[in-house]
Amino acid sequence: MAVEMHPNRSIVDALGADLRARAHGARRGVYLYFRCLGQQMKAIMAYETDFIVLLLSAVLVQLAGFAVIWAIFQRIPSVNGWTFWQVVMMYALIFVTEGVGSLFFEGTWRLSSLVYTGQFDQMLLRPVSPIVQVLAGAVGFNGLGNLVTGFVLIGIAVTNVPVEWTPGRLLMLAILIVSASVIRVAINLASAASTFWIRSPWSMVPMFVHRLGDFAKYPITIYSYAVQALIVVAVPFAFVSFFPTAWVFGVDAWSLPGLLTPLVAIYAVLMSVWLFRVGLRRYESSGH
Amino acid sequence: MSGLRKYVSFARTSLEITFVYRAGFVLNMIGTIFYVVAMFYLWQTVFLGNPGSLGGFTWPEMKAYILVSFLLSSLLTWYDEWVMSQDIREGYVAVDLARPFDFQASRFARAMGPIIFEATSAVGVAAVVALVFGGAALPADPGRAALFVVSCALATIIKFGLVYCVSMTAFWTTSIEGIMVGRSAIQNIFSGALIPLVFFPDWLQSVAAVLPFQAMISTPALVYLGKLDAQSTAVAIGVQVVWAVGLLFLGRLAFRQAVKVVTIHGG
Repeated sequence: MAVEMHPNRSIVDALGADLRARAHGARRGVYLYFRCLGQQMKAIMAYETDFIVLLLSAVLVQLAGFAVIWAIFQRIPSVNGWTFWQVVMMYALIFVTEGVGSLFFEGTWRLSSLVYTGQFDQMLLRPVSPIVQVLAGAVGFNGLGNLVTGFVLIGIAVTNVPVEWTPGRLLMLAILIVSASVIRVAINLASAASTFWIRSPWSMVPMFVHRLGDFAKYPITIYSYAVQALIVVAVPFAFVSFFPTAWVFGVDAWSLPGLLTPLVAIYAVLMSVWLFRVGLRRYESSGH
Repeated sequence: MSGLRKYVSFARTSLEITFVYRAGFVLNMIGTIFYVVAMFYLWQTVFLGNPGSLGGFTWPEMKAYILVSFLLSSLLTWYDEWVMSQDIREGYVAVDLARPFDFQASRFARAMGPIIFEATSAVGVAAVVALVFGGAALPADPGRAALFVVSCALATIIKFGLVYCVSMTAFWTTSIEGIMVGRSAIQNIFSGALIPLVFFPDWLQSVAAVLPFQAMISTPALVYLGKLDAQSTAVAIGVQVVWAVGLLFLGRLAFRQAVKVVTIHGG
């Protein structure tokens, strides 16, 4: 949205117009995102048993992981000072954010095949940001199963720890969950953008990065410094699960970085959009 | 002999396909290896806080257990199941039905083709992980090692039998993806893939005991570690044989019913 500088307009007016144009662009982006996603939903609803089975299977996968944590804590009271419900909270946050990613932003997983087959060209021809189109490109209904089970686990976890629930704390919990989801989706988008460099329909980078999330299902204090650096700095999965949990449960040693989660979310979005745009500039349609 | 030769060529082709799409294979292994490493750190911490044994397992034994589970999970990967159900769903199965070979045997040959490659890769990766974490328990003697290999072979046949039965549902439903994810989740709980079954409460252990899943990972792992005496080992391997034969038979039964209902796109 370029803004024309009118000679008789002050710089403040111009900035205002620019901001209004940007806000309009953002609103339109959101509107179009939901329109695209709606079409994907219709396509999936055509096979209703498929999505019910997918949903149930996601619940089963989560219960399997939960069973492991539960079985371990049947034998021991705490792992490295972390209690059962704290670990459950970390585990649940990984799944809730994964659910948000699958349900609303599954399209990132299709990017490499779109680029490989050249279908990505279509997205560049439309007057909508390719990022919006990629994000809205698919719906993963298993995400709903992850969301529901994840929230149930979070609900049980937060009622089982001695924390006083003030309105401020509840609000912060909501902010942390939203931030964690944003970080998760940004990581997905950034790793999907790797396809602009690695031109293969079998690009391993997105799955590789996604699987790093396995580390963040447990307290990061159990890992060596190398693994900690990997999931705190390189790919910030620790801000999806560990640090928010530490803040919510008031674990003093680690709760301060938890407050930084919203900032990390903003940083992750900026980085992933930047990476995507740099990659996009390298894009050549297949066959060239 | 020519009867066997066509199945050998199925196996060879399947191995070649695995090499062509090796990225998919490596991907699957990387996917599990992060989880394995995370579990190693988790259990390491648990054992640091509780020196000695937990649920009858020492730390070196637990390391071995996790790696045996990883090894068995790396055999007959997702790829086989996905391909089989897609062939049914897309209708390519019509070509198979028209050709002179046994459908189940041909699928078995295809599944087994890459198995040596899968096994050696997994053993290599497991050895590296074990070395990084200061070694793991080994079988006490060659006899035990031999029993372990037999038990693994049976476990793999059971896995094929189960995967084959699950794939048959593709004749009736399009929900195969969810069914596969669900199958692997249930299998992960009841096979002891994620945690030794002894860590579960009694009622859950009783449920696991009557299901085929425990014969897929728990049995070979316990044989490897020598957790079963001579008599229990014989019984456990006997149970494996029963499940292997039973599931293969069930698969044949399902297939015979399936070909009656099959409608291939285009009539």
